[in-house]
Amino acid sequence: MASRNPRGPPLPHFRPLSNDILGTPVPSSSTLEGKTRGQTSSRTAFDRPPGMTGGHIEVHGLTKTYEGASRAALESVDLTVPHRRFVSLIGPSGCGKSTLLRVIAGLESFDSGEVNLFGATPRELCRRKALGLVPQTPALLPWLTVRQNVALPTRINRRARRSAESPDTLLRSVGLEDAANRYPHELSGGMLQRVAIARAFGLRPDVLLMDEPFSALDEFTREALQLQLLELWQRRATTVVFVTHSVHEAITLSDEIVVMSARPGRVHRVLPVDLPRPRDRQVVTGPHMYALESDVRVCLQSAWEAGAAPDDLIPL
Amino acid sequence: MAAPAPTRDGASVRPAVPRRPRRSLPLHPRVWLPTTVLVVILGVAWSVIADAHPYILPRLSEVGWTLVDEPLLFLENTWSTLQIALTGVASGAGSAFLLALLMSEISMVRRALMPLAVVLNVTPVIAITPALVVAFGFGMTPKVVVTAIITFFPVLINVTTGLRSIPTPVLHVFETLHASRTEVLFRLRIPSSLPYTLAALRVVFPLSVVGAVVAEFVAAGSSGGLGTMIRNSAATARLDHVYAAIACLAAMGVLLLVLVTVVERRLLFWHESQQTPS
Repeated sequence: MASRNPRGPPLPHFRPLSNDILGTPVPSSSTLEGKTRGQTSSRTAFDRPPGMTGGHIEVHGLTKTYEGASRAALESVDLTVPHRRFVSLIGPSGCGKSTLLRVIAGLESFDSGEVNLFGATPRELCRRKALGLVPQTPALLPWLTVRQNVALPTRINRRARRSAESPDTLLRSVGLEDAANRYPHELSGGMLQRVAIARAFGLRPDVLLMDEPFSALDEFTREALQLQLLELWQRRATTVVFVTHSVHEAITLSDEIVVMSARPGRVHRVLPVDLPRPRDRQVVTGPHMYALESDVRVCLQSAWEAGAAPDDLIPL
Repeated sequence: MAAPAPTRDGASVRPAVPRRPRRSLPLHPRVWLPTTVLVVILGVAWSVIADAHPYILPRLSEVGWTLVDEPLLFLENTWSTLQIALTGVASGAGSAFLLALLMSEISMVRRALMPLAVVLNVTPVIAITPALVVAFGFGMTPKVVVTAIITFFPVLINVTTGLRSIPTPVLHVFETLHASRTEVLFRLRIPSSLPYTLAALRVVFPLSVVGAVVAEFVAAGSSGGLGTMIRNSAATARLDHVYAAIACLAAMGVLLLVLVTVVERRLLFWHESQQTPS
């Protein structure tokens, strides 16, 4: 899937686009946007740093123990995420999936091992503003309007000189063009998280890290946002590492699911998701989905047993 | 449940009628009546005592006439006290804000200054005032310094807390953008500290009047001000002047509080504290 095309990476625009996401035609706004951005602009956007495209996110033998903890939070974790893949980390609580994400984001140090993002360290990627982060809470600045919040990454660390999409285009693509001049306290949780996602996509990051971004939302909002995220990702394909504790969400979104186990945190198994792309509501609710879901659940169960504390295993 | 509803009598249907939101207008009796009643009761009690013991309380009418007869005297003295209070608050709160910034950025400065600031806070300001008068004379300087000292600590503590109260996820977003320290400070820390800063100002503005009056008491016989006036009038048993001056101080305090509230409304429109409960 990483399709190392000798002439360069595949352009995301050439993927067949779904015309009935959410059962409705693609909104005119997004088709408009496709026209205005055109082929050349997307080429410059995605091919810019030479040597960056292609390659993988690679984590080797990563071990991290928090100070004062008796057990490692992560122990010899190996993870490979090919370019422009969508990979989910899932596992019982305490398995270190969020820690792993923060290590990949360069937000936390580690004891031993190696983290390599397309040949660069996380810090280097951050310096170029090539790494997007969507935390669990929207993390917007309440004193800025929605538009200013989306534009925030362009205003910080200008030395990186990274070109960005216009905030209005981004907001249109998440269906929030009418909310551009409103303030975060006037929006609902789902809208806030859409703003956060738009902000993260704004700099066309090479890596997008998402830490349970939908976990605080209700079921319906969550499913709508998942499809919206898929559509966004389809058009602006980047490599995504997505932490979740929802099996359904992991399958809906990912190419691969990394199941982790706790005590110590390690990769239990990697499961491929062979649902066709682009995915719409039909695919996501189809019978194959449920077969996959039970597979992942079985795997999670074994991961849970592998890492369960003795107290957890009391038979009911 | 739904079927019998239409047959119910009026009383049981009533709650279904959407109730008007309870946003009372300022002119509604529910707003002004309780206070007015209390003021009238207190006024009557005052008058009764004043009639019986004219050497303890002046008549309210006397206080009123004093204010009307000599408005310039009170305005001038109010102005000079207000000047002291405002200059004191500006220098005290301003330097506290700057020091808090320094302390949040350089931990060495925090470790050096915090103990001293605490000691300064626990030392009664009244005790320092005579020494300051000796040092700076009877002019404005010692009074401004006293006011500055009294307003310094609350601002320092609150701003320090505010600068540190940043949600981790937001900080993480800034870190992944490789934001510089100055960017984090100006785009994140200072705006986040504003609610704390303004909460401190809410305390400190009225406190500045306290500082100014205390300083004027101690350095009495100096360039005027309501504190000096109260002290001198009390010494000569001019109770009407004393209470008129107190009324001026109260009005000044209210004015300052209104000022802070207006600023708060404008700056913190985004903060939970400014949202009207629905």
